[in-house]
Amino acid sequence: METEEYRISFFNPTTQQARSNRNLIIQLFIIWVVAIFGFQILLKILSKPVPEEALVKFIPAWEKIESGNAGSYDYQVAGQSMVQVTGKLTLGPDEYDALKDGISWTLAKLLPDNELADLQKEVQLLSRLREEITSLRDERYLETKESIISKAAPALVIGEGTLLAQLLALGLDDDMENMTEENRSKIPGIMSLYLTHNRSVLTDTVFLGFPFHYFYTAVLLLVFFVGLCWLYCYRTDKLHAKLNFLEQID
Amino acid sequence: MKRIYILLLFSLIPLVTYAANDATELEGSFKVGPAIILIFILTLFVLVGILFRAKDTTDYYAAGRGISRVGSGMAIASNWMSAASFLGMAALMYGTGYHGLAYVVGWTGGYVLLLILMAGQIRRYGKYTAADFIGDRYYSQTLRAIGAGITIIISIAYAVGQFGGIGLMFKWVLGIDYLPAVIIGGSVVLAYTLISGMLGVTKNMQIQYVIIITSFMVPLFILTAKFDYFWLIPQIGYGAVVQDIVEGVKIVDKAGMANSLGHNFAIVPSPEYAMPWDPSTGQTFFQWMAIAFSLMIGTAGLPHVIQRFYVVPKARDARWSVVWGLFFICLLYWSAPVYSAFGTILSSNPEVGKLAADAIVVYTAQLGNVNPLIVGLLAAGGVSAAFSTTSGLLVAGSSAFAHDLYVKVINPEAKPKTQMTIARLGTLLMAVIITAIAILDLALIAQLVAIAFSMAGCTIFPLFLLGIWWSGSNRAGAKAGLITGGIVTLISLTYLIGARAGWILPFNDFITYYLGAWYFAWIGAPLAITANIIVSRMTKETPIEIRKFLIEKVHS
Repeated sequence: METEEYRISFFNPTTQQARSNRNLIIQLFIIWVVAIFGFQILLKILSKPVPEEALVKFIPAWEKIESGNAGSYDYQVAGQSMVQVTGKLTLGPDEYDALKDGISWTLAKLLPDNELADLQKEVQLLSRLREEITSLRDERYLETKESIISKAAPALVIGEGTLLAQLLALGLDDDMENMTEENRSKIPGIMSLYLTHNRSVLTDTVFLGFPFHYFYTAVLLLVFFVGLCWLYCYRTDKLHAKLNFLEQID
Repeated sequence: MKRIYILLLFSLIPLVTYAANDATELEGSFKVGPAIILIFILTLFVLVGILFRAKDTTDYYAAGRGISRVGSGMAIASNWMSAASFLGMAALMYGTGYHGLAYVVGWTGGYVLLLILMAGQIRRYGKYTAADFIGDRYYSQTLRAIGAGITIIISIAYAVGQFGGIGLMFKWVLGIDYLPAVIIGGSVVLAYTLISGMLGVTKNMQIQYVIIITSFMVPLFILTAKFDYFWLIPQIGYGAVVQDIVEGVKIVDKAGMANSLGHNFAIVPSPEYAMPWDPSTGQTFFQWMAIAFSLMIGTAGLPHVIQRFYVVPKARDARWSVVWGLFFICLLYWSAPVYSAFGTILSSNPEVGKLAADAIVVYTAQLGNVNPLIVGLLAAGGVSAAFSTTSGLLVAGSSAFAHDLYVKVINPEAKPKTQMTIARLGTLLMAVIITAIAILDLALIAQLVAIAFSMAGCTIFPLFLLGIWWSGSNRAGAKAGLITGGIVTLISLTYLIGARAGWILPFNDFITYYLGAWYFAWIGAPLAITANIIVSRMTKETPIEIRKFLIEKVHS
């Protein structure tokens, strides 16, 4: 008999206080699970892979290049798109090198031989200077960079004062005329990887300046956690007061 | 306490005037202003430790149970806000975008679980340490010893990341190599913990919280104001920064604004920073969910976190201290993504080169041309965060060593003085082991810490959850659960070490993906709970006196 009396289980509470506490915990737990995991599942269900504009332009241009039917416009579009990807922060070093190879090669297809030779010399000089200089504000370094931009950017139809022009100056290879077969085959995959993103109405809606899903996860969910904790303490205090439940101090 | 805060504020004024014109450098040289701030803050910690020194074992283990709810909340936050929160969180978002938010959610959402399932009950159970609870609840000296061993292992795993953070910041401030930086930083935190014990630690934690949160917040106001975003609440204002990263910022959009290296405040459209589970980050939906879940249950199983609830006078205070603690923690977690967002734009030019992600908080402030002294204060805040957590971990580990292993298992007749000596020896031994592992620089700070969470989720969490809520869970069940959780942990860590050593083990890809070292508790914990339940049902029931205690003391 005594053995039976002293059995406790979360799911079979024996007192009113325990029952009320269990119900409160279950309610808060369900809210907690739905708020965290429910939202992420919804985000996953709604998200679809969406290519960036740069990829939409790159694919047909690269196909023409591969089939040997490309014109200047195709080289320019492919070059511009690759330059854009070199600005991605998550880009790995091997991928960056492959893109540099690709950009340099497209430029070589667009520039006359004499201009290409001049540009190549300056790219080599810039590469040497980067090893030598102690400050990125070094005058000779900056001049060389500007000179590269003035020669290369117009060929790819990139504005000289733009971010893409800055990236272009750094994204050129010493050997511009040749692209390795390995890099050639890697480039479409790299472009597709870095220019396709999971998007949905939840990611494209802007709320308080944020993409909504980001706001929800990074800001609102945390507010919610504090609120849930407060609610639990408040309701527990009320319940204990109602039931005259005194907690022991030791 | 007020005197100390005032002393701190006035002492900083001449320093701000002194070094305000230092040139900003990303790394590599000795930084005078930040070094002075760091030394000053560390000295302050040691002085406070001496002032509030532990007088006996009760003081040492549980701060005399005299800490208020808000004070305890601050201590919970300070204890919690480690190098992983201060430095590692922004690092993860900097490298993997939305994936990093799994850590933000995991490390805050777990407190809800901890509160509703455990906080009050743990306090009512009235034990000093996690191993004490396990030993008494499961009426087993073996389990007490195993619990103590697990506590020590988890504390070491957790503290490795902290020592890494301390080393990184000492390296940045002193301009020395990582190896001596870890040794110097580790020695300072060890000296402090040995001097003070937890009473000093708890008082210090309240001061540390103020330093941590102030140093973390100030640069955010400066960055948002400087780059023309809504600066009154940077935690909201950075939403526009995130959106700008997604859509791209052209040079003309923010003309005249540049980072400290002269690069324009501009970035190509980079939706991968904010879009969920972006293919380019290499992280998946499953990993996001598994990390969030593992970190949440790990939170509710970490010995040094659970131990915080013993220092409040009663169960109600334990509950409310969680609310305060979580609020104080969230202040930092709302802010960490701001650093990664600004860091992403400010370092987007390939000329900046590959930055150490774990130091991105400091680099962001530097690249944003924030006053070098404020950057120094930020670095000191990072050290404080690692410092406060490490102190708590060393106390939890040494308590397990001296109280649970030595006194309860090896020498029950030990005098309090001997106990204190053993606790200090344990602290020293742990610090040496932690330093040796931290020197290897195995992974990102937050990832190292996540391993400790998964370990706790697989081992201690199931024991506490079932121990509190089901009297049917018995000694045999507890052992079965521990073995199951232990096996999962062992498999995951073997594959982690194998990957680092270049071994190709059977089912390598499958195991490293589904039992990843940062999130293996997603399956380890449910399996351990299931094993505990099945074996408990098949074996002899829990003794009547334990069940009576549960009903009369813990649930009534």
